[in-house]
Amino acid sequence: MEALANNLQVLFQGLALGSIYALVSLGFVLIIRATNVVNFAQGDFAMLGAYIMVACLTGAGAPYWLAFVLALLAMAAFGLLFNFGVYYPLRHRSFLPVLISTLGASIFMQNTVLAIFGAQPRAMEKVLNFDGLHVGGVFLDSQYLVILAVTMVMVAFQYFFFEHTLVGKKLQATSQDKDMARLLGIPVALMIAITFLYSATLGGLAGVLVGPILFVSIGMGSIIALKAFAATIIGGFGDVKGAIVGGLFIGVVESFAAYYISVPYKDAYAFLMLFLVLIFRPQGFFGEKVSEKA
Amino acid sequence: MRATLRAVIAAALAFGVCGAFADTIKIGLVSEITGPNAEAGSYTINGARLAAEQINKKGGILGKQVELVIEDNQSTNPGTVLAFSKLGGNTDIPAIIGPIRSTQVQAASPTIAKAGIPVMIGGTDPSLTHVNNPWVFRCRPNDSFSSKVIANFGVNTLKLKKWAIVHSTDAFGSGGQKALTEALKVYGVEPVLTQGYTNNSQDFTPVVLAIKKSGADVIGTYMTNSQDLGIFAKQLRQLGVTATWIGSPSIVTDTAMKLAGEALHGTYGIADFNPDANAEAKAYAQAYSAKYHLQPDVYSSWAFDALNVIAQAINTAKSTRPDDIRKAILGLRNWKGVEGTYNFDENGDGLRGYNIVKNEGGKIVYVKHISSPK
Amino acid sequence: MSAREAKAAAAQRGRFSPWAVVVLVVAVALPVVPFVAGVSHFVLSIFMQATTYAIAVLGMVVVLGYTGQINLAQAAFFGFGAYGLALGTAAYGLPFWISLAIGVGTAAVAGGILGLTTIRLGGHYLAMITISFQQIFDLVAVNWIEVTHGPDGIPGIPRPSVFGYALTDDRAYLLLCTLVMYLLIAAVWWLPHTRLGRAMRGVRENELAAEVVGVHTLRVKVTAFVLSAALGGIGGALYAGGFAYISPDNFNFNRAIEFLSMALLGGAQSPFGGALGTTLLILLPEWLKEMPRALQFIKDVYLAIYGLAVILIMVFMPEGIWGLLKNAWARARKAPPAPQVLRVKPLDLDIRITESTPMLRLEGLQKHFGGLRAVDGVDIEVRRGTVHALIGPNGSGKTTTLNVVNGIYKPTAGKILIDGDDVTPKSPHERAAHGAGRTFQNIRLFPTMTALENVIVGAQRDNNPIEPGHQALRNRALSALQFVGLADKAETAVRNLPYGHQRLVEIARALAGHPKLLLLDEPAAGLNQTEKMELVELLKRLREGHGLTIFLIDHDMGLVEKVSDRITVLNFGKKIAEGTPEEVLRHPDVIAAYLGEPGHATA
Repeated sequence: MEALANNLQVLFQGLALGSIYALVSLGFVLIIRATNVVNFAQGDFAMLGAYIMVACLTGAGAPYWLAFVLALLAMAAFGLLFNFGVYYPLRHRSFLPVLISTLGASIFMQNTVLAIFGAQPRAMEKVLNFDGLHVGGVFLDSQYLVILAVTMVMVAFQYFFFEHTLVGKKLQATSQDKDMARLLGIPVALMIAITFLYSATLGGLAGVLVGPILFVSIGMGSIIALKAFAATIIGGFGDVKGAIVGGLFIGVVESFAAYYISVPYKDAYAFLMLFLVLIFRPQGFFGEKVSEKA
Repeated sequence: MRATLRAVIAAALAFGVCGAFADTIKIGLVSEITGPNAEAGSYTINGARLAAEQINKKGGILGKQVELVIEDNQSTNPGTVLAFSKLGGNTDIPAIIGPIRSTQVQAASPTIAKAGIPVMIGGTDPSLTHVNNPWVFRCRPNDSFSSKVIANFGVNTLKLKKWAIVHSTDAFGSGGQKALTEALKVYGVEPVLTQGYTNNSQDFTPVVLAIKKSGADVIGTYMTNSQDLGIFAKQLRQLGVTATWIGSPSIVTDTAMKLAGEALHGTYGIADFNPDANAEAKAYAQAYSAKYHLQPDVYSSWAFDALNVIAQAINTAKSTRPDDIRKAILGLRNWKGVEGTYNFDENGDGLRGYNIVKNEGGKIVYVKHISSPK
Repeated sequence: MSAREAKAAAAQRGRFSPWAVVVLVVAVALPVVPFVAGVSHFVLSIFMQATTYAIAVLGMVVVLGYTGQINLAQAAFFGFGAYGLALGTAAYGLPFWISLAIGVGTAAVAGGILGLTTIRLGGHYLAMITISFQQIFDLVAVNWIEVTHGPDGIPGIPRPSVFGYALTDDRAYLLLCTLVMYLLIAAVWWLPHTRLGRAMRGVRENELAAEVVGVHTLRVKVTAFVLSAALGGIGGALYAGGFAYISPDNFNFNRAIEFLSMALLGGAQSPFGGALGTTLLILLPEWLKEMPRALQFIKDVYLAIYGLAVILIMVFMPEGIWGLLKNAWARARKAPPAPQVLRVKPLDLDIRITESTPMLRLEGLQKHFGGLRAVDGVDIEVRRGTVHALIGPNGSGKTTTLNVVNGIYKPTAGKILIDGDDVTPKSPHERAAHGAGRTFQNIRLFPTMTALENVIVGAQRDNNPIEPGHQALRNRALSALQFVGLADKAETAVRNLPYGHQRLVEIARALAGHPKLLLLDEPAAGLNQTEKMELVELLKRLREGHGLTIFLIDHDMGLVEKVSDRITVLNFGKKIAEGTPEEVLRHPDVIAAYLGEPGHATA
């Protein structure tokens, strides 16, 4: 009985962590689809969002929900800034300069926040006013329940947005073939700017949601982003469904592997999974086979 | 291009070395100003600055004012080596206060030996003072003592015998784990669980479940980062583990207590510094809070002591020759600092005692001081 | 080399000589400075770090700058070298040089394994793979305490003796590091001028084209990773010897990013750039510390500035500081003289026709993409020494057929025989080595390389029947350029050539490989009327008496009619007609197929 409870606990924890990876991975996927570039600063969107929320809460003394909304708005604005500062000037170049530019942005963001807020990690309140639920020997952290729910809502929203709204369809057209989209009169640069805006907001959302659990620190985004990126690839590069499944998969695998095999190597399992997937199924779970056209 | 650069920097550095004033005594300080450990580094600098201020008010060292020469080590080992070689190459500096991170001291040890001037360190890895480097002096009790004190308090005072050890796999954590295992052996106790984890873990569920399974009634921890400590503390309580917890000093830091909140209530910690431990500590805590509006902690207190030890030694020796200072430090007997009473042994270890404190409802309460024989 | 050419070359070199001498003298004098002037231990340490890091950054130059492969695991390779040396000497008591060799060897093997993953993955995948590798290295170094000594690290690493002289003195050891660095800079600088180096740059500029003209791209990438890792290993081992102590945090992801930034800042495409970037980024923090008090705040934010700088470098100086300097230098002096095209030998294209079997035979060729049958059971025979055209409406499977013929796609079913040999399982570069050359509809050249270099890459395919040695390659390439009428543009970077010329360079690149079978994918696409006329002339010159077999696709019926001996028509992946131009163009099915899509008949 206790063994079952323990396994369920590990499973819940894996799903919970996995949904964080999935949430960050969604942001990756959007930018990959729109620009064909991996944004290495995606994790730092989460970090920045969380710090903005902390600043609103403790610095400005704003109420919780106001701080929450302000943080997301600020991240939306930052997404635009990121688009024009980091991506736009390099839009005609190959993926490598853009990738390196986002790495630079990541270093810049982390150290700017460090200079402003200091290295001391911060605590943050949970969304709900109770710690969690005990269900048959398994503890369900209220914040993790919120994260699971929000992830599901965001997936549904993203699906609806892309499939059933005009802007969403334009975004999709842009991501599939920029030249064709341009010919159809879709403002491609604007669409990409919107993608960054949305993606940064999504990152910020992930940040303010994980803040109460993992605390707000400079490095909080980096490790999540690496796993989320692994999830993105495992799921199938640039596939929304894949991002979710990949994220949950990594969360559960590392949770169980840490429980049954070894805790110190916990961070290695995601990368090991990635290696295996890349070698045996490089297109990921849901991706289509990649091949270059001559 | 490379060539000119090299010439320029060499010239620049040469000027820096020559332009010294002779009416102050310069003491080096290698600490973290940038990088991930910048927070702790700033406290260390605070502590040393406070000491310098007080010494200067009392007339300085050998009648000269003290001036701190602070070098950033960028929170990295190579950075530490560079910082030491820079300060060590400055002949105006008779002694240096070094970093609190053990690996940084280890990395810089050859450089320190080469420089041949006394270096006061805060790293607590026991081996640091046992590598035949006569110039390293420790102003904190080392981990062999911290583990002895944890074991002593847990086994003798609390009468607990089923131990689980949780430790970070970094140098500090794994060193502490080894020492604690050794210390428990003295009491015939074999830990029921030894569990390591990598810094910046996001989830401690497997660790907590392992503790639960092991049936331990006391947990001894060597955890490095306060985020890890906070997450572990919360999950430990959420999953219903009620075992007594005795932690290494990080458990009583301001940050850890802010992050973990209630989850740390009722835990014990060891602290080389506690404001209630002695008169010197009390006075220091008042002065520190007044100056910086911060609670004093171990990152600052040891540096405060370190500079005072150097000042005392130079005044006793009436000389700034490194060898004289070294002899004077070794000759100090029952010198009362805020961290405790210093008697440097031949390895350069100054302290052997720890304070046991308890987190009672978010307040740190002094329990007792345990001094371990050598 | 003729006497006159040698003289000309010497004269050209002579233009640099005063500078080269100055640089050389300073470079030689530098490591000696500490022996004559007093230099502090600090300065020696800084330069020990700079030289050893620079060696690792040279690895980034090879893999990223030359070959265009992202490597975010250089710190791990640096670590392999350092751990090899440290464990070998301090833990197992092996001699210094043997330990160094073990470390560097391990790094190289690891690099090779990482390089092998590029068989299927490039770009972002490679970025992620190398990051994963780096993270796993870090975790293992920390946690596998029995072997790596864990987070405590390894102290007491000794230094070597050279000719019985122990390098315990920092100055002597720095001298060793500097000499090794000079040697490796020279080697890395020389690399692009070699066969391998050109192949690497080809892979960077256009991997598919490189493969098709005969570069074994996988081997080149693996070699690049092996070299990069070995350089990282050498740097790491020397670093470990220099500082006597190592621990895992010297070799983590941040260090890998640092190596990357150093390469980018200085200029990843040149070893001088790499060394420059390394020195700057190591000295930068020290300079900031020396700044006046008013600017001291910079110290607190310099890592932020550093991140910003990375973005700015990417935007404003993609070739790094060295690239800026080089371009400024190039502008300052006059344009280099065109190579004196004195006596370029006429291009030898002769293929002896001794058999009557077809040069190219496709048997029941099928290529399906999911449900789409792009090529659906095609049989074609291309006779030796003829020009054979493949035509058909858009989407009829022409380009797919061509891609299957030279191995870019693997056929779903069927066989491809070139010169009687079944090449179906072979990769494009193997087919190139078998004598199949090709051009592309959307030109695929190596844009930043000169026309001559582009064509040399074509000439250096395996089994090319020319004499060994660089001079023969160069002559062959010049002859090929001469053949297409562009010998005077040999030293121009092809991205600066007009479109029509680029197409000719691509043809010259294929011809330089002395192909038996030349595959031309819409050679007339994008050409104006005059250029088309010239192309027709060129194709006629090619078919006259050389024995070369040409298999081409084009939409331009006029061109096809003028140059082809035979035509095959495809529609919906199936052959619908074949014969002489007169027969085929009158064939009712062909007319129907084109009328079905009238736009293409005249396109």
